[in-house]
Amino acid sequence: MSTTTPLTYSTECTELRTTREDWDAAAPELLESMLVQMHTIRIFEEVILQLAAEGLVHGPAHSSIGQEGAAVGSILALRGADGVNGTHRGHHQFLAKGLAYLFPNGMSIIDGIKNDQVTEFIRRTMSEILGLKAGFSGGRGGSMHLQWLEAGALGTNAIVGGGVPLAAGNAWAQRHDAEVHDDGGQAGGMGVTVTYFGDGASNIGSTLETLNLAAAWRLPLCFYIENNLYAVSTHVADVTGEPRLAARGPGFGIRSWRVDGMDPLAVYLAQKAAVDHMRAGKGATLIEAETYRFFHQNGPFPGSAFGYRTKEEEKQWRDRDPLAKLAAEMTRRGLLTDEQLSDLTSHITEQITRIVDEITEKDPESAKGARRIRPILWPDPAAVDTDIRSEPALTGTALGEENEDGTVQRRFVDAIADVLGRRMDMDPGVLVLGEDVHRLKGGTNGATRGLKDAYPERVLGTPISENAFAGLAGGLSMTGRYKPVVEFMYSDFLWVAADQIFNQIGKARHMFGGQSSMPVVLRSKVAMGAGYGSQHSMDPAGIFANNPGWRIVAPSTPHDYIGLMNTALELQDPVLVLEHVDLYGTKGGIPEGNLDYQLPVGKAAVRRTGEGVTVLSYLNMVDVSLQAAEQRPDLDPEVIDLRWLDRASLDWDTIGASIQKTNNVLIVEQGARGTSYGGWLSDEIQRRFFDYLDQPIQRVTGKEAAPSISKVLEAAANADLNDVLAGFDEVARNLGRS
Amino acid sequence: MATIITMPAVVADATEAALQDWLVKIGDTIAAGQPIAEIETEKATVELQAEFPGTIGRLLIQPGTSVGVGEPIAVLVEAGEDEASVDKQIASAGGTSHSLAEHPVPEDTEAPTTRRDTRPTAPDATQEPSRNAQGRDSRIFGSPLARKLAKELGVDLAALAGSGPNGRILRGDVEAARRQQAAIPETTPTPEETVVLPPAETQQAPGVQNFQDEPLSGMRKAIARRLTESKTTVPHFYVSIDVEMDALLALRKQINEGSLPAGHKATVNDLVLKALGGALVDVPAANASWQGGAIRRYSTVDVSVAIATADGLLTPVVRGLESLSLSSLGRTMGDYKERAGTGRIRQQELEGGSFSLTNLGMYGTREFSAILNPPQAGILAVGAAEQRPVVRDGQLAVATVMSCTLSADHRVIDGAVAAQLLAAFKARIENPLSILL
Repeated sequence: MSTTTPLTYSTECTELRTTREDWDAAAPELLESMLVQMHTIRIFEEVILQLAAEGLVHGPAHSSIGQEGAAVGSILALRGADGVNGTHRGHHQFLAKGLAYLFPNGMSIIDGIKNDQVTEFIRRTMSEILGLKAGFSGGRGGSMHLQWLEAGALGTNAIVGGGVPLAAGNAWAQRHDAEVHDDGGQAGGMGVTVTYFGDGASNIGSTLETLNLAAAWRLPLCFYIENNLYAVSTHVADVTGEPRLAARGPGFGIRSWRVDGMDPLAVYLAQKAAVDHMRAGKGATLIEAETYRFFHQNGPFPGSAFGYRTKEEEKQWRDRDPLAKLAAEMTRRGLLTDEQLSDLTSHITEQITRIVDEITEKDPESAKGARRIRPILWPDPAAVDTDIRSEPALTGTALGEENEDGTVQRRFVDAIADVLGRRMDMDPGVLVLGEDVHRLKGGTNGATRGLKDAYPERVLGTPISENAFAGLAGGLSMTGRYKPVVEFMYSDFLWVAADQIFNQIGKARHMFGGQSSMPVVLRSKVAMGAGYGSQHSMDPAGIFANNPGWRIVAPSTPHDYIGLMNTALELQDPVLVLEHVDLYGTKGGIPEGNLDYQLPVGKAAVRRTGEGVTVLSYLNMVDVSLQAAEQRPDLDPEVIDLRWLDRASLDWDTIGASIQKTNNVLIVEQGARGTSYGGWLSDEIQRRFFDYLDQPIQRVTGKEAAPSISKVLEAAANADLNDVLAGFDEVARNLGRS
Repeated sequence: MATIITMPAVVADATEAALQDWLVKIGDTIAAGQPIAEIETEKATVELQAEFPGTIGRLLIQPGTSVGVGEPIAVLVEAGEDEASVDKQIASAGGTSHSLAEHPVPEDTEAPTTRRDTRPTAPDATQEPSRNAQGRDSRIFGSPLARKLAKELGVDLAALAGSGPNGRILRGDVEAARRQQAAIPETTPTPEETVVLPPAETQQAPGVQNFQDEPLSGMRKAIARRLTESKTTVPHFYVSIDVEMDALLALRKQINEGSLPAGHKATVNDLVLKALGGALVDVPAANASWQGGAIRRYSTVDVSVAIATADGLLTPVVRGLESLSLSSLGRTMGDYKERAGTGRIRQQELEGGSFSLTNLGMYGTREFSAILNPPQAGILAVGAAEQRPVVRDGQLAVATVMSCTLSADHRVIDGAVAAQLLAAFKARIENPLSILL
């Protein structure tokens, strides 16, 4: 008969409850700060709900009323330089972090929020929630995207769990900063990051992947779950087998606490313990605060109005109002009188009401005396697209084209390792991460060869969780101190990382009004033709080109790779660097002893001049196009290597001059037609150059299906030399020739 | 099988032409080469001659109507052909099968009232053949570039056959059509049509109209377009010379008193034209025209002569001047002048030539410079032959002098060639027997 022995977790999961002794021992200044902050948040939120009821908040107003203690108790245990981020319900965390930053020595009942900086902070927060230009993000972010980097408020997030990987990036930077400066565990220890989310986000991949990653890399990241029991109307017990969410931590090896979120002191004490754990370098933590939102998901009505919970349940929780709990304890200790409390709330109300009066005015078109936003406060609609990308300000030496003198031959894949190594050598903020990049002599293809030995702390072999490590890279880049170079072993993995790639990294700069840059470099391997089948063979250029924020480079030679990678790392934008497996083994000339040159942003290369037809291509298909062109001298093709593929960087000057000369266009790419790049490009060309076209824009692509494993089927699915020649035939046919 | 007669491209760059009048009626039997209609183009009224013999089955166009080049205008039938085959033939040519109402239905067809089928009969008398009805029944396919180019160059897409898929008209088709217009250098982009200056302000009291806008005739349009094109795209330069005419006038008097048949007098202009022809033989470098990619040199001497008409200027070409006798020249010029006055100059008579001669001497004009007629190399403008004081060996004398100004296309001939040409011209005029030899 088999035997069984219980397996225990290697870390603890504990519940923390306060006692009267804890309350008696709490510093009066701490309790005063809690009181002022919590009432400020409560009144602010009530005002926002009032504005929402008046129709002045465009979009949802996710109130945090009822959850103030869970945020304030936590944030008062942090330092100003510590980072926080959160989800769509983040007003309370944002206000608490801002107030704690503005009052590092605490807030007092006497002064309340009488302070110009506080008034300005609240005014900017309210403006942001109302979508006004005075907001932190110029009104672009609104209620769900509140960011004030100076105060350590890294940005709240409307994708449930979407902010969690980003917080991990901030935490990695904090840990690395501490290690580099050699004060880990000393002088207060390393900075920490707290990522706030709810019970709903506890079940999503971003969070679960990041729990694993943060634990593996011992990041000073606290997963803070404000468990308010309901994901909109769905009860936590309905959607998980372990509704004690703190129990998720030990499975990942993360020290975890459960705490009464309606007790701000209990929250504070739990957070303090977690912070000590993290600053001591012991890695990630998790806190589950049991709390309750008094209202529905959004808007001024209670959840019971929508039938998913009872008024009795709501009353039980309201009886445990954290504001009342705190006031009662302070009164018991003689730290607060009813009159003081009444004075405090009335003066906070007065301050916030004054801000509302500055923002709103009587609507002249309303007979009922309704208010409206003062028109002058709206952002300029003309700025709708600004801040999608940075304005490139390159400092390096631009080396135009191939320098024949001193050219040495180098394999493409070695050029990758060369330039990455050079950049890591020159810039301590550059790091490389991805699956197996640290092993196998430079990853699966050797592109990171030698880097792990030279820079062991900055070459990170990741777990197989693209969403988490792509997001971590995003969070790192938002610090402004680090430039992560992420490798996707196969481009198809973008789909599993799509939230971080597109919703977070691609949009963040614009969404937060240009407050933070996103200098992520994503090396993405295109493995068409390698027999890896339907899920490993895509060309992602089309997908990236059709999403905002990303720049795309597609080097076809070792020379271009070096120059484009250098430029990519100089840019303040996310840059996709495409690498095709067919090119890894090719050789090309690079300037001897120069790994620092940059190729200019938005400059294509004319690889063959001609008068007859403009061939637009990139990566390996440039060479295929050139081969085909040599077989059709009658068509006199001009072959352009696009090099930069994104909407902002495409070289329209070169393309336009060519099309105006040849009047015929053939776009050549290898991959499937559906996700192809050329669809976007031909659309743009026909609108820009309609009058210069003598025939429809012709295209060479693969077939509709993703390429199969079978060699013959794969060859049939991908475009090759014969397909390019067929493309030329089509061009000729449309010219009335054969 | 029925034969469709379409509106010909009587002038190379014409996009449409007006059918002035029918010279035949339905049911007429015609021979090949027989004139069947008069067609007015921008420059000339020409007779349209039948290419094939046959019987006129349909006349599709009202006299006075403008018709796009290439559109069907009439149908020739062979003996025994029925209406249905004619309709089918017209439909396949993209035209309307309706016949002209005022032309009677041939007697051998059934009267409409007895028809039993639903086939369309002759249209009712009030129906005006519309432009649309005459046009193609499917749209013209042309590439965006071809359309833009055609518009810029004034090429009518309807007149072109596209070489692309489904007959799509391509850039090359438009350019080929343009090249046929010998007047326009291939590589020189054509500027927009005539520059229209705003009318000068007048002091006229408001509400009183002191002018009348006269619509441009085809010829006026052509003059406006061609000359604007010439003046703005051709690098003109000008060389002048005075020639003494006394010897030539004496010779002319001698000729006219002598051998020419009755009623034919040699004019000064004829002799000047012969002198210019001789000069072009003497200086063959000037006997040329600009062809864009090449300079065309001629082995014969063909010179356009400007003839003023009520509507404007016509420039028929006198060909073979180098061997044309003075009497033949006189007959040719007499014929041209007569037909120019009635608008009967044929298109081919207007084409070609390396030079032009224009003469305003009869109005007493002393001298003037002319705009040349591309792709010709030059135009010689001659003024009045008048008595002027001249100095000979330090002595003042009187001579009959004519001032001439050559306008030349510098792309074709240089200043020295122009000067040599004028010197040769002067020598011929002043030694007039050389003109006759």
